[in-house]
This record gives sequence, C-alpha cells and structure tokens, in this order.
Amino acid sequence: MGFIEDNQRERIQFILKWAEYVRTHDDREWSKQQNIIINSCLETASMTKEQFFRMKKR
Amino acid sequence: MRFTKSTIEINRELSELDMFTINFTNILKKYTPYVIVSGYVAILLGRARASEDIDIIIPKIDFPTFESLLKELRENNFYCLNGDEDEYLFEYLLERTPIRFAKQDTIIPNIELKCSKNRFDELALKKTMIVKLPGEAELTISHLELQIAFKEVVLKSPKDLEDAIYKNCCQGNYR
Repeated sequence: MGFIEDNQRERIQFILKWAEYVRTHDDREWSKQQNIIINSCLETASMTKEQFFRMKKR
Repeated sequence: MRFTKSTIEINRELSELDMFTINFTNILKKYTPYVIVSGYVAILLGRARASEDIDIIIPKIDFPTFESLLKELRENNFYCLNGDEDEYLFEYLLERTPIRFAKQDTIIPNIELKCSKNRFDELALKKTMIVKLPGEAELTISHLELQIAFKEVVLKSPKDLEDAIYKNCCQGNYR
C-alpha cells in the first residue's frame, strides 16, 4: 500500500477509536479534550478578509 | 450523549465555536427558521477537529425581515464580511450566494449564511434535529442520516468522508 492509503487508513482508525471513546465516556470528559483543539485553533488563527476568501475559493 | 429520533442531548463543555454559534442563532431564529449543516455538526458531536466557519441555511426571506435581522446582529457586535449595504447584501443572498458574519474585528470563526437553493437545501430545512446543550441552549441541525448521505455521495472529499464515518459511528446509541 502507498503512503496515501496507509495515511488514510490510519486516519480512519483514529476516527473509529475516538468515536468509541466519545460513545463510552461522559460528555464533559471528551468535550474538554476536544476543546483544546478547537479553542487553540481559533486563538491562533489570523488572516485578513482577503486571505480568507482566497482560501475558500480554492 | 442521548439520541432520540429528533433530538440529541449533549452535556458537553461548550467551546468558543459553540458559544459563537449559539449567540448567532439565538438572534437568527427570531427572524427565520434555520438549519446548521456540514462540518460544524460533526464537531458539535465530538469530531476531533476545528473549523473556520459554520454553514447555515435559511429559507428565502423578505427584505424587511432581513433588514431587522442585520440590525440586531450589528447591535450584538456581528458584522458582514461581504459589505455594509443592506440592499446589496440582500441581493447577494437572493442570488443564492452565501454571506458571512463574524464578530467585529475578527474573521474567524464566521457564519456562512445562505438561502435554500436546491432540493438538498430544502430537504435539510425540512428534516431537522434539535441538539440540546447545557444552559438550555439549543441548535437546529440537519438530520444526521441526510448529512451522512450528502457527504458520502455528493461532497466526497477526504474530510467529508471522515466526517461521515464519525457521524455514523457516534450514532451507535440509537441505531
């Protein structure tokens, strides 16, 4: 299998594992972990309006 | 997470993205029905990724309603990235081009707001689920089965396929 297929397979394995974790743990527990990603992404994101629209057009 | 046929109850810690979406839709729903679709729905249900925008579909509305909506959004510190003129923005929306709203002095996150333009959008508006969150917050999302089908069959990007897989898995409770 090539790198892309291996990478995609690993990504899907992680999604399945994480979904299982979300199903089997308290909402507060998994969402606290998830929010580290979400809140830090929003905090560090910085671009101009023009850059944003250019990115969306691609 | 608790699933019924038409509701999902999530006692989650709300993220900045959730608060942004709740603040916007609390205003929006005074003026028009709406439905949240696409990537943010997967994130709301726990998908481990972020998003710069939240996609929302509304039915066609008239100009006075749109004007009132804009007024209240501006009073609550939202602005439209596409411009300032109400008539211009309304034409944009009527032509079924999305318009984007963010908090003043920010670009991200933003709401991508569009009018229903095809049968998929109409179906999304018709077949909805309510997500119940802490603090009596509620968000209206498109039915999960519809979104999964749309991502798997129509969009099909790697990210969309992963979102579809995730949504399929986390529904295990009520299948």
